[in-house]
Amino acid sequence: MPAALDSPSDESLLARYRNGDGASFEALYARHRQGLYRFLVSLSNKAELAEEVFQDTWLSLIRSTTQPQGRASFRTWLFQIARNRLIDHWRKHGVHNPLHDSYDEQLHVQPDDASSPEHQLSLSRDQARLDAALQALPEDQREVFLLRLHGDLELPQIAALTDAPLETVKSRLRYAQQKLHRLLAEEVPA
Amino acid sequence: MIDPKHTPDPNDERLIEHFRQHASGEPPASLDAFILATARREASAPQPSLWQRWLQACQRPRWQMAFATVAGVALMIGLVLRSPVPEDHPSSLASMELSANRQEPSAAAAPPAMPAPAPIVRMAPQGELARAPASADQALLEKPATKMSKVAPAALPSLEQGLMEILRLREAGDGKAADEKLLALHKRFPKEDLPARLEALRKR
Repeated sequence: MPAALDSPSDESLLARYRNGDGASFEALYARHRQGLYRFLVSLSNKAELAEEVFQDTWLSLIRSTTQPQGRASFRTWLFQIARNRLIDHWRKHGVHNPLHDSYDEQLHVQPDDASSPEHQLSLSRDQARLDAALQALPEDQREVFLLRLHGDLELPQIAALTDAPLETVKSRLRYAQQKLHRLLAEEVPA
Repeated sequence: MIDPKHTPDPNDERLIEHFRQHASGEPPASLDAFILATARREASAPQPSLWQRWLQACQRPRWQMAFATVAGVALMIGLVLRSPVPEDHPSSLASMELSANRQEPSAAAAPPAMPAPAPIVRMAPQGELARAPASADQALLEKPATKMSKVAPAALPSLEQGLMEILRLREAGDGKAADEKLLALHKRFPKEDLPARLEALRKR
């Protein structure tokens, strides 16, 4: 979902909005509303909570006067705000934060035959099955996969956002994809 | 921490693409409308230039009043600081009236090249001197002057007034008081030839 080359960057749209150009915010919102919403729904697995955090995130961006810091892109910044808001919500309501669980990926490794050339499998297109597969992922793997999927973030950006080492992020994504392949694989009829 | 050599696996990209194609879910329209309306409402107006802000401020009645008040106070202070303070003629108002009515062109004692207000004031008693000192008009006209001198008690009588007073005392036979007055006047005006001026006044 990156902006086209001839269109203004997210950062310049935000700067224009800060200078009073309301139309720039509409363009910025149109670019990221869907990805952010889907990320929150999939991560929290509750539409109501996702809507609340989604609204809080945009309102805090509207009312803030800050810009993305350092080398962070607008997208990384936006998803980081949303993630922090969700964690705040869990903390406030005494919900155990699943993203902070220490997780030993090695214990969950299973042989992944689906990606091997010998096994040409198609992936299920059933929406319920896709959702169930995502929810079956451990939280930290799911988070990395969702940031890649809906945020279109690169692994270094995800590592910075989740404050995790790059290698850990890589392995989380790899294990997540292996598990999803396994859960969604369907034999192609000969 | 950043690995620039990271190259995604084509199979993994296929999986991501597969999820993207089948992903669904949109924020409700009401939520969109609320966020966009808030953004429009809270969009800060572009900062006008200093000149524009000043003009806008001038157009507001509250600021007009403030500017007018400041200007009025400044004008008053300026007038107070610049207005001349009369030094030696407390009855200047009455004297000016007298001088306008009674000034005579033959007043030899008046210096011809003095600035306009001062000669008028100083010549007034000389005009009075030409008339009968005990006339009813003079008594009436001296009352306001007396009142004015009470308003400004620190002001001393002018040279001419002092000389006239000495003449009056001498005519009344009070030579001692006249001499004391002359002595006091001499202390105030040491460079003046007081006897000569007294003589000139007496002849008139």
